[in-house]
Amino acid sequence: MLLPYFSPGWFFGYDIILELLFAVALLFIVIFAHKVYKTTTQRSVQIFGIGLTLMMISYIVQSIFNILTIYELQNNISFLSKAQYYLIFQFLGTYSHIILMNIGLVLILYMTFKVENIKILLTILAVSLFAIFTYDFPFYLFTVFATIYLVFISLYFIKNYINNRSKKTLIVAIAFIFILLANAHFIFSINHQIFYVIGHILELIAYLFILWNFILVRRYDKKKRKT
Amino acid sequence: MIRKRERLEIIHDILVAIKDKRDTAKPTHILYKSNLSHQMLMEYINELVKKEFIVEKIDKENKKTYSLTQKGFDYLADYESIKSFIESYGL
Repeated sequence: MLLPYFSPGWFFGYDIILELLFAVALLFIVIFAHKVYKTTTQRSVQIFGIGLTLMMISYIVQSIFNILTIYELQNNISFLSKAQYYLIFQFLGTYSHIILMNIGLVLILYMTFKVENIKILLTILAVSLFAIFTYDFPFYLFTVFATIYLVFISLYFIKNYINNRSKKTLIVAIAFIFILLANAHFIFSINHQIFYVIGHILELIAYLFILWNFILVRRYDKKKRKT
Repeated sequence: MIRKRERLEIIHDILVAIKDKRDTAKPTHILYKSNLSHQMLMEYINELVKKEFIVEKIDKENKKTYSLTQKGFDYLADYESIKSFIESYGL
């Protein structure tokens, strides 16, 4: 298995900041989803919350390994050691990101099916993880799978908007369309690194929409508590 | 999905019925306000007592009454947010 890195050199560091911002945005949603689950004990909320938690952790883990890479590149004197650490940290960072993000997205996809069948979930997970880790370019295949999951997830949120027309459902649908577009750009980053940058910018827009929705959801209660 | 949303609303209606009765309501009053069958109401009441949203008391006439706990008040305060979150993501 090869470990290609798609980020242009000048973007290394900015992507860490962006991924930490995505994790912070998700943290707000995860905490609230946990609160909603504790109150309602609704299974779909629990699955959605776990999915988002894994996505959040995947960003954090990748950022930590990228920070460690920068630290070793700046502080290690030996060129060989630098190369070794670079490979080890990039390997661990990329693979843990792929595993966690893949499981997180599959859980959200499973939630959209609205069926209680653990076999479906396990089958998708087994097939996707096996295919990703036996392919020569795991990150490439992961982005392809993630894009496919996100097509169905986005369709679910578009349908949710059509059935329940409101500003909040529209914002969520737009946010997931942006995450879908971001992942589609990551597929092409294997040939053109600029797509990796565009993908991150699209993801940033998506998480800003998610945060906007969260503010709208929480604002009502703050108003109510004041009155 | 619809069944769960209704469940949230039923719990909300029961808690509001208690709150509106100066936070001390008899089962008959809750039954009237929540528009449920007696059996269904008692299932919800038992669940709410178990979850510590309401507390059961005995009044001077030796009859059962129900009052909201802090958790019950918190639920009412967060109800719109919870409902809004569930609708936003189609959960």
